[in-house]
Amino acid sequence: MTATGAFFEQLAAVGHEPRLCKVHGRVRFDIRDGDQVERWLLDIDHGRLRITRDDGPAGTVITVSAEVAEAMSRGEMNGLAGIARGEIQVDGDLGLALRVGRLFPAPPDSRRALPDRGR
Amino acid sequence: MKDIAGTVSCIDGSTFIVSDTSGDVEASAATPVGLFAADTRFLSRWVLTVNGERLTALSVDDSQYYEVAFFVVPGGQVDYVQADMSAIRRRRIGADMTELLTIFNYGEEEVELDVRWEVAADFADIFDIKFDIRDKAGSHYTHVGPEELRLGYRRGTFRREASVSASEPATFDPTGLRFTPRLRPGERWSTELRVVMRALRPDGVDLRAPVRARRPDEDTLPESVRAWLAAAPTLDTENGALREVYHRSLVDLAALRFAPLSLGGASVPAAGLPWFMTLFGRDSLLTCLQTLPVTPSLATPTLRILASLQGARTDHVLEEDPGRILHELRYGESAAFEEQPHSPYYGTVDASPLFVVLLDEYERWSGDAALVRELEPEARAALAWIDEYADLTSTGYVWYERRNQVTGLENQCWKDSWDSISYADGRLPGFPRATCEVQGYAYDAKIRAARLARTFWDDPAYADRLEREAAALYERFNRDFWLDDRGYYALALDHDGTPVDSLTSNIGHLLWSGIVPPERAGRVAAHLMGPALFSGWGVRTLAEGQRRYNPLGYHNGTVWPFDNSFIAWGLRRYGFAAEAGRIAEGIIDAATYFQGRLPEAFGGFDRHVTRYPVRYPTAGSPQAWSSGACPLLIRTMLGIDPHEDHLAVNPALPPAFDRIALLDIPGRWGRVDAFARHRPSQPAPDDGHHPASSVE
Repeated sequence: MTATGAFFEQLAAVGHEPRLCKVHGRVRFDIRDGDQVERWLLDIDHGRLRITRDDGPAGTVITVSAEVAEAMSRGEMNGLAGIARGEIQVDGDLGLALRVGRLFPAPPDSRRALPDRGR
Repeated sequence: MKDIAGTVSCIDGSTFIVSDTSGDVEASAATPVGLFAADTRFLSRWVLTVNGERLTALSVDDSQYYEVAFFVVPGGQVDYVQADMSAIRRRRIGADMTELLTIFNYGEEEVELDVRWEVAADFADIFDIKFDIRDKAGSHYTHVGPEELRLGYRRGTFRREASVSASEPATFDPTGLRFTPRLRPGERWSTELRVVMRALRPDGVDLRAPVRARRPDEDTLPESVRAWLAAAPTLDTENGALREVYHRSLVDLAALRFAPLSLGGASVPAAGLPWFMTLFGRDSLLTCLQTLPVTPSLATPTLRILASLQGARTDHVLEEDPGRILHELRYGESAAFEEQPHSPYYGTVDASPLFVVLLDEYERWSGDAALVRELEPEARAALAWIDEYADLTSTGYVWYERRNQVTGLENQCWKDSWDSISYADGRLPGFPRATCEVQGYAYDAKIRAARLARTFWDDPAYADRLEREAAALYERFNRDFWLDDRGYYALALDHDGTPVDSLTSNIGHLLWSGIVPPERAGRVAAHLMGPALFSGWGVRTLAEGQRRYNPLGYHNGTVWPFDNSFIAWGLRRYGFAAEAGRIAEGIIDAATYFQGRLPEAFGGFDRHVTRYPVRYPTAGSPQAWSSGACPLLIRTMLGIDPHEDHLAVNPALPPAFDRIALLDIPGRWGRVDAFARHRPSQPAPDDGHHPASSVE
């Protein structure tokens, strides 16, 4: 399975996310790979999380390439930088997208960290 | 606005243009002039000529921050003899920029004019300019159309574009546009140019479109400024300088408001022109604290956006930790490609405690319990960050040591230049470091959060714990930082716990936070007002006599108005009303030398030597927390403070002011007035009452 698939499957299995306890809304990820579009729909109700492979309507749509989705799911993508760069396209509520963006994993330490000061 | 010598600026939040006095822009790689939005320079050349000649300004009307009019004639100042032809360039900034040129022919002949704008865009990131980086990784493109000139920059999926168009027929070419109007004697001719700045996604959607949609259009902007000024309390005083500074401060705070994309249109203060036109955690929190009595509407959106971007995980490049409040947020190329860590950068240790301090202070003024409940998780996370992530040596203090060794900040306190933290003999301490004022903020945050926990979060056990921790910090701090032989607090602790012994303005913040025992406050106040620290205008960042003291040292000797406003507030808290008043007098006096606009900092030279406050060469201006200094100094002189549902007033006017009245102060009480005037025959009352009015 791709890192992206694993990430959403895991979110779906948990079904609850305290970091979204103030959030109410639907966010859809449209992940483009050539002509294919893989969709994940997040239905967020104050921390309760329902995730489906649905192409239903959502107030906020996040469009990324499969490559970018993989990087996000591995913690290798800074969301705000990705938006400023044009690699992550958000239509709808940017604030909501940023909150959902926090669910993605932290950068793998070894890769993002700079050389230790060697104390 | 003429604060960088010889320049005129025009501002609307994070969008601004800095030009020369004739309205032209000729940017070099390392000078912050040009048209900017989203941390990017969209115009680096914007030069108007008529018949091949540059124009010279006879006068400039910049009385509105978002609009400036240049009254110009052809020719340089030296060879100007007679002008049959004159012109007005009226420029206005909003989400984009417009410039209306009107040319008058007062001669007796019909003339055909060659009106030419030279246009170029280097798309420099603000950090390219700061660090003089000239090689760009992407490529520029130019598109000449029949009705527009489009200048663009592309780097992978990153694209920025400036489009120039005109209301009158023009000829466009790759380096500008040209008009050839014919004017009979007594005739005038006009055209309006529009420069649209776009941050384009690969699908052509402009990231700045919501900014354009939300900003008031040209005709509503003056009305929004009038409404902003009308909502603020009215200042009534015989002191013309104070009136001027107060008005200027309110207008500049309006100018610096900007609506971050992620906030649905609400405005927060940008930190300052030209380098800091974006969201800074520390600057925006301190500005909101300074301005609660006059512009409280800034506080809620500031707290909300900082909460929404609060650290959630660990990232060594961004220096992010769970619960940490951000330092700086940028949208330019260097942030987009992570060449700078500003998306967002978390390298500050004071924003997290100050977040809690502002939340409490805002509730005390507004009675907005709903916001305190809404932001409970973020406030708790910020407090947890203090204990779990900031105590790098497990000694019970807030320490810092950058994890991003390449682009992170060495000093993560408000004095954040590399050499700002030094021993009296000039040595730099090792890392990590714990500066004194941040321990005061942490103490204050815990005391205040205990009140919030007890009153609003229904968690008395947490309140008890916070109070126990605050008491222990107070004890520990007064043991480890106090230099008894000198009579002041060490600037910081070195990595091994050695006190960094220089005498600095930081000790004034300790009074504000309340971490100083009353019996020590007198010695601290005496140092603040002594000749080594007090210049006659204000308290220097670093005292004369310390090895690194330099009256033009950014954090090593200059006087910062914002710093002084918090010191005055702290002095007042401990009963040093006369000392607080001397600072208020000095800072307000200094402002008169800057047309009422307090800059970020000015020279620390002795007032008796220079007689005027010396301009600091690259000081930001306007600067949000300098604009916030005047409201806080007024608060300090009036001694206004919320007490449950009323506003207590306990004025103490220094000799320079005979009378200060602040009318219609908004808060949980509705609107009340506070009065102060000298009446030497009567003793000063020691408490205020409602309706808030008092005499001294």
